[in-house]
Amino acid sequence: MTDMKKGPVSGSKPAAHVTIADRRQFLIGSAGLLGAATLGMATGLGVRKARAQSRAEISFASAAFFGKETFGDLIKAFNESQDRVLVKNIELPPPSSSTEVYQGLVQQLARRNGTPDVFSQDVIWIAGFAAAGWALPLDQYFPADKRSAYFEGTLNACTYGGKLTALPWFMDSGMFYYRKDVLEKHGGKVPDNWADMATIAAAAQKAGDIDFGYLWQGKQAEVLVCDAVEIITSNNGAILAPDGKSSLINQKGAVEAIQFLHDTIATTKISPQDVLSWDEEPSRQPFTSGKAMFMRNWSYVYPIAQDAKASQVVDKVGVAPLPSFPGGKSSACLGGYQLGVNANSKQREAAIELLTWLSSSETQHRIALNFGLAPTRPALFQDEKIKAEQPFMASLEKVFTGATARPITPEYAKVTLALQSGISKALVSGNVQAEMDALAAQINKIVG
Amino acid sequence: MSAAVDVSGTGRPRRFGKALPGTLWALLLLTPALVSLASVSFYPIVNGLYLSLTNTSLITQEHEFSGFANYVQLWGDAQFWNAWWHTMWFTLASTTLETVIGLGMALILCEAFKGRGLVRAAMLVPWAMPTVVTSKMFGWLFDGQNGIINYILLHAGLIDQNVNWYGSTQTAMTTIIIADVWKTTPFMALLLLTGLQTVPNSLIEAARMDGAKGWITFWYIRLPLLMPTLLIAGLFRALDAFRVFDLVYVLTGGGPADSTETLSTLSYKVLFSTLQFGYGSAVSTAMFVTEGIIALAFCLYLVRQIRRAQ
Repeated sequence: MTDMKKGPVSGSKPAAHVTIADRRQFLIGSAGLLGAATLGMATGLGVRKARAQSRAEISFASAAFFGKETFGDLIKAFNESQDRVLVKNIELPPPSSSTEVYQGLVQQLARRNGTPDVFSQDVIWIAGFAAAGWALPLDQYFPADKRSAYFEGTLNACTYGGKLTALPWFMDSGMFYYRKDVLEKHGGKVPDNWADMATIAAAAQKAGDIDFGYLWQGKQAEVLVCDAVEIITSNNGAILAPDGKSSLINQKGAVEAIQFLHDTIATTKISPQDVLSWDEEPSRQPFTSGKAMFMRNWSYVYPIAQDAKASQVVDKVGVAPLPSFPGGKSSACLGGYQLGVNANSKQREAAIELLTWLSSSETQHRIALNFGLAPTRPALFQDEKIKAEQPFMASLEKVFTGATARPITPEYAKVTLALQSGISKALVSGNVQAEMDALAAQINKIVG
Repeated sequence: MSAAVDVSGTGRPRRFGKALPGTLWALLLLTPALVSLASVSFYPIVNGLYLSLTNTSLITQEHEFSGFANYVQLWGDAQFWNAWWHTMWFTLASTTLETVIGLGMALILCEAFKGRGLVRAAMLVPWAMPTVVTSKMFGWLFDGQNGIINYILLHAGLIDQNVNWYGSTQTAMTTIIIADVWKTTPFMALLLLTGLQTVPNSLIEAARMDGAKGWITFWYIRLPLLMPTLLIAGLFRALDAFRVFDLVYVLTGGGPADSTETLSTLSYKVLFSTLQFGYGSAVSTAMFVTEGIIALAFCLYLVRQIRRAQ
């Protein structure tokens, strides 16, 4: 062993000089090559720069949505549509990994180096981005007359501190799903208040027509906050006071609403205890397999319910605005993505041009058809082609009209964690008033 | 062996070695490892400690020294203590169960029987599985509506209606512990098996000759000799259990009503959801300190055991 190992070492001794010399030679050679390459690249850059002067280069970052095409295809279409701006697409994870998308975006925006120039954002991040000074106010580019083309709820969610800091892109909202066939047997009219809903659901459940009267999402997660926003608003309650500096969650409106949710499990028993561990998909499955009468969920469920491969209830599902309490009005939690411009972007005009194109009636039309994502422009719901190809969207318009944003505060990330924990505690224990008092105190500390 | 020493000690240094004494040469060889260790392990710890003394937040863009303010806040933070107790409970329960069951498995596997090799290999399957897969699997097993566990218990007459395992504060943590025990017991069994195999057979045979029954040989010969292995395996497991994240994240997300929140999920939420790097680092540091104390307790006990044995 020793000899064998030594062998090559001593044997290579004379050769070593050659090797080193060779290497030196090689190094010099490659340095030259490298230099040449650098020069080449520099000239290449020079050419590209020259070209870039005629075409402003910007970047666009968004969560990845999929449909008949991707957002990459959309950006390619934009690049081909004109010759002033060249957009580079930065793809972030899909919206189901919302936390990762948020982290990816924040890390880039916090560097303040102008990348990405344009980005898409979930509605709950808008206030935080605006407060951190990362989002460019858009008021001068989109004056009042241009804004009136959008749903009011989405515009409100895009406004922070009186300034428009994002532009609506496409939307989603909570909605009320019901089984037409079961409802036919039990009154026939879609309930528009929660008490009626509970009565009908209990009757259908007792008659054995379905296993569960009403399904919602009670898992300690973001979706619980959405369910809570809807039911609280439908009782004229609110999570935050209009000025955003204090919490109203321990007031009558909110407490009654959360109590109602608790009662669906504990008293009226129209919801299985399982809703406390269900988010969207676990609650969707019993509904599309025909076990439930009513359900609160997002728009994505509708196409699934109509797909014979995934659903036992094809053609039996209707969608309506969520019920409300007496004296309140139906409220749907606003979801979906909005567009923003990086305040540090060095290419503002180009960024605005992309923004305008992405949110234009034509592009929203294309997104509705190819991605199945609902437009934020009410006018498009009347479009014949959308009506024909995405029939569910037409029935969603009145749901979208009243969509309510979740609390608009730059501290949303902290507020939502407190809400998830506090509401979950109230639902589990049934001590709604006490838990809401504790929650309100906690939120006041965060936003006050 | 000596050949290897020759190569590094005398063979190779023939050209450079004369100028470099052995220890310096050894240090030089160690440098890359030390540098990489410092950069990936030491630096993050120190940086974490430093961040925990600041009010760094990506959202508010603050980054100022704040002394022990984060720790004062931590001390009065009910959510932190809630998570701390849950983590301690999870660590204690899962480590104890895994050690006891793992020891049982190791004792069985130590015996000679047909197909032992196959059983030993098969046993490791749960441990080799990614935790996220295990989590999903247990999610379905304990599903409140369609889970097989409810089905079995219902038909055996042990429960009269479906239990919502992950939706109830009474059962959520227990269910997570069960999932962890299923996954990690094989690892403990494997560690303990290697320990058992170092116990000289001659000792056991001698005891048998003296008329000692199986239980006695276990209690007075195998167990004392196994003690150091048992403690080290327990320490590994406890430190690992203390960091539990994926099981909780996939199965309950910390709910319901914070009943399964652990320090890892809490620090993840504080760090990456609310982007409070200062406060989040304080949570992580508190975790690090608790782990240090656990490790120290194990080590002290181990040293005492060894001293006593001597």
